[in-house]
Amino acid sequence: MQLARAIALLLVCAPGVALAEDRAEFSTALFAEKREGGKGGLTVVHPQFDFGIDLGRFVTLDVAYAADVVSGATARIYQVDAVSAATTFSDVRNEGSFALGFKGKRSRLTFGATLGTERDYVSRQIGASASIDLPGRNTTFALAYRHSFDEVCNRDNSMVTPLEAKALLGSDPCDKKGLIFGKDHLDPGTMLGITRWADIAIDTVQVTLTQNVTPTMNLQLGLYGQVLDGFQSNPYRRVRIGPNAPQEHIPGTRARWSASARINRYLPGLKAAVHMDARFYDDTWGVLGGNVEAAYSQYVGKNLLVRFFGRAYQQSAATFFKDAFFYETESTAGEYFTGDRELSPVRNVTVGAKITLISIGNDKPVWGLFDKLQFNLRGDVLFLDLLAADDAAANTGGIDNQFIYGNSVIDAVTLQLGLLGNY
Amino acid sequence: MRIARAFALVLLATTITACGRQAVRASEKEFLADQVMIFDDDPQHASTNEHVRTNREGAAGGQGAGGGGCGCN
Repeated sequence: MQLARAIALLLVCAPGVALAEDRAEFSTALFAEKREGGKGGLTVVHPQFDFGIDLGRFVTLDVAYAADVVSGATARIYQVDAVSAATTFSDVRNEGSFALGFKGKRSRLTFGATLGTERDYVSRQIGASASIDLPGRNTTFALAYRHSFDEVCNRDNSMVTPLEAKALLGSDPCDKKGLIFGKDHLDPGTMLGITRWADIAIDTVQVTLTQNVTPTMNLQLGLYGQVLDGFQSNPYRRVRIGPNAPQEHIPGTRARWSASARINRYLPGLKAAVHMDARFYDDTWGVLGGNVEAAYSQYVGKNLLVRFFGRAYQQSAATFFKDAFFYETESTAGEYFTGDRELSPVRNVTVGAKITLISIGNDKPVWGLFDKLQFNLRGDVLFLDLLAADDAAANTGGIDNQFIYGNSVIDAVTLQLGLLGNY
Repeated sequence: MRIARAFALVLLATTITACGRQAVRASEKEFLADQVMIFDDDPQHASTNEHVRTNREGAAGGQGAGGGGCGCN
């Protein structure tokens, strides 16, 4: 009986730890954001499929596919009235990845690669991760590194100054070789460049320590560092500077790091758990940010798990970000200028819930195949609050229309449906 | 930088003081093995969150390097 319990414990533990048993997971997420300008909102449909198998005792193979089908309104020019310059767009991004894992008694080593492609961006990523349980199996160290060799399609601005740079248009050609390599496009008549693919290299390192603290509590500490080197502007975005509207121009190098702490506490009497998460972020562009998150998971009977969560996030602006009114009336803050809302001061709150229906086959497999089957449904709503980057009293243009966010109470909604089977 | 140093110190102290063999015995891991106690127990949910935040927040990125949970892999 003790042996049976030990085996059951191992089986329950395995999937969350290291994908150590065969599994298949499919989910689709719908993200919808309200936007002004009469051009519709922003809609993203994000299907994902993961499939993992054991190749013998020590080797695992995971393959995954994900896509983004994006459509909606986008702001072409960052200015006091960005809404009037909004246009519609649509794009599809495809991404495939595989990972080969080697597992020992208390350790695991995984090598993986990811390829992503869309009309104006290609991504080629390789990475490795390693984890080890220390003696006693109460402490797990994990280390991960990945490098991306990405390319961005851009208008050929190699012969002009940043203030003369033209933005890419949806009608500009973004040619590729073999789907995942960019190919510059020359005008056949003049042999001058029309579009040029720009490189961006991304190195990311993450380390985590997971610790069982008591029989009902564990914690995880994480450190994350990333260096981006290359073209990081949105090639389509323009910024109104006085009478001109050149392509946005931001630094080519960015170093960023964050530290996080997460705690889970099980409540045996309630068959529930509480979860806390806090994170601090800093980077060389001057963006300081952080978030706190709290969640509560509750079993209802044997087969239903309900989770409620809330998250609050805030960040400061990049040093070269200005409210649109001041770019228009005072020019830039130094060499760089941007209309990227991710570099503006902003805070948001997300609240949501997730329902998981769990079906475990005891004597008979679920649906004739699975040892365990989970059906997930979750929904989030996001509330956004734009903040002024500069002196609000002197900003007679205001900040309400410099982005095309909606001004409604709920700014965005995410719905996700998923099915996970272990067999 | 001070925060990074403080964080590294906490990480080191936690490791030294709490990772002993007897922190939690194998027979006491029933609740730790429950799926609600596994960090990122739903990888697709976590990756969707990360994906949405990366496209909305300038300070996104860096949630876990994998591994961990009940410490029984």
